[in-house]
Amino acid sequence: MERTIALTVNEESYEVTVRPHWMLVDVLRDRLALTGTKKGCGGGACGCCTVLIGGEPALACMTLAIRCGGRHITTIEGLARNGTLHPLQEAAIAHGAVQCGYCTPGWLLSAKVLLDRNPAPTREDVRAAISGNLCRCTGYRKIEDAILAAAARTR
Amino acid sequence: MTLPKFDYVAPRSVQEACQLLEGGGGGARAIAGGTELLMALKNRQESPGVLVDLAALPLDKISYSDEDGLRIGALVTLRHLAAHPLVGAKYPVLAQAARAAGTVQLQAMATIGGNLCQNTCCMYYHRAAGARQSLDPCLKLDGDLCYVVAGSAQCWASYAGDLAPALLVLGATIVIADSHGEKIMPLRDLFSGDGKRPHTLGPGQLVTEIRVPSAASRSGGAYVKLRQRAALDYPLLGVAAYVAMDAAGTTCREAALALTGVERTPVIVEEACRLQGEALTDGAIQTLAAAARRRARAINNVCGIPVRYRRDMVAVYAESALRRARDAATH
Repeated sequence: MERTIALTVNEESYEVTVRPHWMLVDVLRDRLALTGTKKGCGGGACGCCTVLIGGEPALACMTLAIRCGGRHITTIEGLARNGTLHPLQEAAIAHGAVQCGYCTPGWLLSAKVLLDRNPAPTREDVRAAISGNLCRCTGYRKIEDAILAAAARTR
Repeated sequence: MTLPKFDYVAPRSVQEACQLLEGGGGGARAIAGGTELLMALKNRQESPGVLVDLAALPLDKISYSDEDGLRIGALVTLRHLAAHPLVGAKYPVLAQAARAAGTVQLQAMATIGGNLCQNTCCMYYHRAAGARQSLDPCLKLDGDLCYVVAGSAQCWASYAGDLAPALLVLGATIVIADSHGEKIMPLRDLFSGDGKRPHTLGPGQLVTEIRVPSAASRSGGAYVKLRQRAALDYPLLGVAAYVAMDAAGTTCREAALALTGVERTPVIVEEACRLQGEALTDGAIQTLAAAARRRARAINNVCGIPVRYRRDMVAVYAESALRRARDAATH
């Protein structure tokens, strides 16, 4: 059984033929060559595969691609605009919040969801917002600093 | 982790979904948020022939009126529920429970209906397919032995949904649909008491709506949760408390206490009704917390946490939840 679905990813339209058991993360990475979305635990625990579906955070490793027909998806590739990094990305670099980089796309998108709704978050708000994103390198402090700095810059 | 193959249908109405589930017999499974079901598929604990996608059904609304109370469509996500201003203001115990489940991403995907229909947990069941090969299958995996209670012919997996205790203390009812129509029943009747098949839903039956009576004035609630990490984990213990005070704010009109993560169903601590007509003193709260400790029979089915600790924490967390509920009701 195959079905062709229309996906809008980072405001570009795609038609993809998928099988029911294909995960969104695999379709993004292997069919659309959008390899910024990372595959970590594969079980909903690490947050590496976080994308936005209709503006809401979602785990691409726990989402069936066939259910995404007609949906608007934002991946990490959609965060920069016209070659200019998003303030969150710039703050991540400035604050040394990236080491191995594997968790980075996921927490950046979680942070985007936070700042879209709450332009002036507290550190506690930031911690809650990224509590579904595991980082094994930086220890979170620099990530929190970067998100708070980006929030201050965009206010 | 890859998924096994299955067929996929996306019905447009509740009636059609129920017919598809009924017609598919045991081989059809409903998928709402999918956060639990897809893990069960990845771990090869389940292998349905067809997934019936509920996403297109019109069950994603929250409404409130003083006459009807709160009505929550079964497909409302936990994130939507927790962020709803009316839910936060009138039913804080519910908003707290929704925020305590999983992570932000899982809350945005998971639905309230799916959370209530969450499967029971046990360290012998919740293991990756490869790890399970080292042991003969347990009762929950259609084997014939229990590793937790040696010699038992019953499965002792624990119910660990976060939303159920919060909804139980609020006196929730649920709407169940099947191909013949729908019926309303108390939420407590959704739970069977069987660790292997923890719900009473038959094939082709769906929870479509959750109804909560209108919020009483001078009421308060709280949900507190014991877990290994402050995010993601299922509750090792969850306690929901609800109290309503009289107009003077001194005497308890109504009190309810419910637990999750300890037994095969959510546990309603019936002794809470003894607080009716009483002053909610610290002593009265401690007496009820001690009753909850005696009532709850957590068993040793969680990896790395001594069961004695989980049992002892029942009184501590029950007291904390009751104090918070009282403080919210009297301020």
